Amino acid sequence: MSTDFDQLLVDVRLNDLPRRRVCRVEPSTTLGEVYRRLDEERGVAVLVCDGPSLLGIFTERDILYRTALEGDPDTPIGDLMTSDLVTLSSDGKLVEAIGTMSERGIRHLPLLGPRGEEAGLIGGRDVLKMIAEFFPETLLNLPPRLDQKMRRPEGG
Amino acid sequence: MRCPYCATQNIAGVDVCSECGADLAGLDLPEAQRGFSGRLLGDRVGDLKLARPIVLAPEVTVAEAVARMRDERSGCVFVAHADKPVGLFNERHLLTHVLRAGLDPAATPVADVMTTELVQLEPDDPPAFAVHCMVSRGFRHLAVVSNGALVGVLSVRTILAYLNDDLISG
Repeated sequence: MSTDFDQLLVDVRLNDLPRRRVCRVEPSTTLGEVYRRLDEERGVAVLVCDGPSLLGIFTERDILYRTALEGDPDTPIGDLMTSDLVTLSSDGKLVEAIGTMSERGIRHLPLLGPRGEEAGLIGGRDVLKMIAEFFPETLLNLPPRLDQKMRRPEGG
Repeated sequence: MRCPYCATQNIAGVDVCSECGADLAGLDLPEAQRGFSGRLLGDRVGDLKLARPIVLAPEVTVAEAVARMRDERSGCVFVAHADKPVGLFNERHLLTHVLRAGLDPAATPVADVMTTELVQLEPDDPPAFAVHCMVSRGFRHLAVVSNGALVGVLSVRTILAYLNDDLISG
């Protein structure tokens, strides 16, 4: 059923793909500052780090479920972050990322390098972007609005 | 055959879409239906594991909307006026339009901070449409609408589950 091209997609590793810029903070960073960083840097999550080591993650979903209504903006993020982490090797495959996200219900996976050091983050939408780059004809070359109708064949 | 670009029904085998003029040559050949690419264009979003949408009235407060999202484990709510979906509010709007704007969630109607830019797909549309909207236009949640009624919400999570269950493992 699958083609050689599909096999290429199955084999591709996260290292081979462009990575989104990551918001990194320290455990002492306050919740209010995290809100500001996520807003200004258009981030979906912050990685809480101590130098090269990853301590935890705090995502938009944590804001929605836990801090939006009762959060104190002065709380250090180290007290709020998730430290029980599901991570992936930065040398892992794209399909592993899809499997882990889907089966564990997690959309943001921190990546670890060969020495266990923090090596970035992959989110659900990053995965879709990578998939789209494999199928530009199918996924990217659609009109900007799907309900848009070209009046004339040349679109003029 | 249905044009993948504008969704117009065309006579089988035509080379060019009668509505938008897109090149349809070869799209209905069995070859094009193989593998990931063919599935992305050939499957229906109506067959994916869509989540049940939370639908609220425009005057409901952000605090109530957040409580519903938390209780029902969802990332977005739809806002409807007289049964017609008019907007969407998600975790990103909460951060940028409420928390960062210094608004009080308990005193702000969700209609004041929602987006009115709604992408509506039909159950017959292919998953390729959904991925396109998410990647090229940055949408996280798409409404699946049948005869004007909201029947499901399609999220990044829905697509990940589809990729995992149907394309990679299947």
